Amino acid sequence: MPRDPLYIRVPESELVWHPLDAVTLVYHRRSGQTHIVMEPVPQILSVMQDRAMDAPAIAARLAEDYDLPQIDAVHIIGARLEELAALGLAERVSPGQADGAEGGP
Amino acid sequence: MSDGPEQEQANADGDDAAKKTAGVVDRRRALMLGAFAASTIVSVRPAIAQAAGSVLNCEIPVPDRSHAGQYIAGDGRLVPADTPGSFAPPGRPFTGEEVKRAMKGGSLPGSSYEQNQAYLNYIRRLQAGQSGFTCYASLQMPR
Repeated sequence: MPRDPLYIRVPESELVWHPLDAVTLVYHRRSGQTHIVMEPVPQILSVMQDRAMDAPAIAARLAEDYDLPQIDAVHIIGARLEELAALGLAERVSPGQADGAEGGP
Repeated sequence: MSDGPEQEQANADGDDAAKKTAGVVDRRRALMLGAFAASTIVSVRPAIAQAAGSVLNCEIPVPDRSHAGQYIAGDGRLVPADTPGSFAPPGRPFTGEEVKRAMKGGSLPGSSYEQNQAYLNYIRRLQAGQSGFTCYASLQMPR
């Protein structure tokens, strides 16, 4: 079975966060874009910190702090990771590039 | 936007999450994952004047996919198909631009006056987690 893709997010210093009720604004210094995001995106970025992770690892990390209600949590998180990569807030990395990567079970 | 030291920014979201988990409710909070296909991100481009190709091109399905087949009552509630006085869903999602125009007094494409009111009432009732909510929320932002 193919492994889930690994992603690494942009450094925290490139982001400015502004929680705003149900949504969160994230300003990305490099692109100059503001992204309006909501759960689970801030939580995903928060647990990723600075190491490459795949969707199962992120789901496992989130499950330490939250109840993950849906059985397809890993797929939903994977879809959000793809969006984050398309926006430049995360980068997909090959396993060779990802020293110390955290893969899921 | 806060523009404090980087460390403060780095902690902003973590603090918020910590408050939610440690605060009022003394149990683990369910993380609202939303649906696989329901994007939870809308992006705003830098130049305010030409803000947001992506915002205006974002889409608001009426109703969202998980309620496909339901009709929309005049006040925007979802009701079973063929309920008297309700309207069949439009054939395609509306774009942010179309909804924005309609909210300024125009009408949604292909809609009668009553359908227009029903669809707009549905859109006004959208809540976080529903498909189209981030798109609708972004239309509220002044620019």
